[in-house]
Amino acid sequence: MEFVSAIFLIFVSIVCVIYFAFPKKHRWVVLLIASYLFYWFNSTYLAAVLAGMTVVTWLTGLMIEKTSDKASEYFKEHQAQMTESERKSYKNSVTQKKKRILLLGVLIDLGVLLFFKYHNFFLGNAASLLGLFGIPMKDYRFDLLLPLGISFYTLQAIAYMVDIYRKKYRADRRFFRFALFMSYFPQIVQGPIARYHKLAEQIYQEHSFDFTRLKFGCQLILWGFMKKLILADRLGILVDTIFDNYTDYRGGILFLGAIGFGLQTYADFSGGMEIARGVSQIFGIELEINFKQPYFAKSIEEFWRRWHITLGTWMKDYIFYPLSLSKRFANLSKKARKLFGNYIGKKLPSFLAMFLVYFLVGFWHGSSWKYVVYGIWNGMIITSGILLAPVYQKGIALFHVKEDSYGWKFFQMVRTFLLCSLGRFFSRAGSCMIAFSMIRNMFLYPRTWEFFDGTLLTLGLDAKDLTVLAAMIILLLLVDIAHERGVKIRESIASQGFIFRWLIYWTAFYLVVIFGMYGPAYDSSSFIYQQF
Amino acid sequence: METLYKILEEARADVDFRNQTGKLIDDGILDSFDIIAIIGEINEAFGIDISVDELLPENFNSPEAMMALIEKLQKEV
Repeated sequence: MEFVSAIFLIFVSIVCVIYFAFPKKHRWVVLLIASYLFYWFNSTYLAAVLAGMTVVTWLTGLMIEKTSDKASEYFKEHQAQMTESERKSYKNSVTQKKKRILLLGVLIDLGVLLFFKYHNFFLGNAASLLGLFGIPMKDYRFDLLLPLGISFYTLQAIAYMVDIYRKKYRADRRFFRFALFMSYFPQIVQGPIARYHKLAEQIYQEHSFDFTRLKFGCQLILWGFMKKLILADRLGILVDTIFDNYTDYRGGILFLGAIGFGLQTYADFSGGMEIARGVSQIFGIELEINFKQPYFAKSIEEFWRRWHITLGTWMKDYIFYPLSLSKRFANLSKKARKLFGNYIGKKLPSFLAMFLVYFLVGFWHGSSWKYVVYGIWNGMIITSGILLAPVYQKGIALFHVKEDSYGWKFFQMVRTFLLCSLGRFFSRAGSCMIAFSMIRNMFLYPRTWEFFDGTLLTLGLDAKDLTVLAAMIILLLLVDIAHERGVKIRESIASQGFIFRWLIYWTAFYLVVIFGMYGPAYDSSSFIYQQF
Repeated sequence: METLYKILEEARADVDFRNQTGKLIDDGILDSFDIIAIIGEINEAFGIDISVDELLPENFNSPEAMMALIEKLQKEV
């Protein structure tokens, strides 16, 4: 059951009616049953994987908390009689015990993800590695169905266990309620990656029916449909044509493919988020915002703070800081400062942690080296940006650049957009080598005239489609500009007169019906991030 | 307190931590790289684990605030 399908809308409507027909106290049960039904429709028996991981995560949380509580009680009673070294060694032993339980839980959850998503990657690379030494290895690779949303809920589960370990909140004792947090259907397909303390309370709360919420939720869903069906799926045809026949194209057209894929992913992923948030809003549950106008970022670092925000903050909280703050990294920092001086030395451990984060961000996207290169490309630009900051400052002073001028800001945005688009070659091309060859062909043979000699009309879209595409991109840009300026679009529309308001709603609806990419000749494609 | 001053002075010899009136984080005296280096050293020297959730400006704006955080974490298991 795809998000962008009639059956999904019918499903949501039925769940909605039952949800609000149920007594308030038990409404969360409707969501739990709906979530597992939704999962069953999509992944059938693989719902068992989700259920299994829920049990492991729940038990791990409880065990860590029990160890922690027992130790706290003992420490409170006996710390006065303990010497300083006894205190330290007691704390150390408790931490080690808690760490062991946490590690076991994380390894099980992560193991399931690695098994389902990366088994062929590891088997294939093992074979290549052994091949290098002349040792033949049988092809053990096998195809497995990937449980829906596993890349997203595994991260949610890990965050929960680590937070209990860090005593951020108490472990959830009510298993079925916890199961709803793990399986909540609007966000299970492709996030946003929720944090327990932000989502759980909301989904258990007793929500009353609210007409404004229903209206706003539906509008958000409609906007998500517009982005996905009118923009992303249409642009997808052009992007597929270029990337599937990459040897036929050169220069500007190849770059158009990369830019197109960036925009397609943005419309696809953020459109999906809007559908998820819209559905959730109807129930009275606010999901995290995952995108903040990423293409207005003035640096790659800022881009990642605006793009897939919940993945970025997850990486920051559970990989970057724990690593950079660890004792091992502290020692490394000390050595680096002695070796390279203060300026580079103190940054080096953070850079290492950052590279690891971007490596993981890349690898998380898919089991292929091209994603790793994509991650490292982003990490490289960010670290070089920080390292070369003094050089840039000198350049800015030399050319008397006004840093708060609109011209400079616009230049920074275009620069970030171009750098970002270059990285897209890796995330979309069939392999790393193809991406490199496309980039080479793009720079070596610019062929800018192809934008004007009719080549654009041979990329799978006719003039009418290209016009719709351009119009939709402009609309998306205008909406993003409004959001960037803090305009609340739905509230603004709601404050308009009856006729104008309904004119907008109906226009949006008919735009999806008329210009959406679906129908007997065309299958609405799955969300890009659903496959990650 | 002396151990803390030593760590701070080692990380940033150019800052006079003992007579500092400005706010270390809010006034931009220490940057994020300094803080990361300093926390690593504090964790090791005092046998505690400062986690991400404690990474708030108010915990690191002055040596006294850092010491208060250290003492709080020392009392916890």
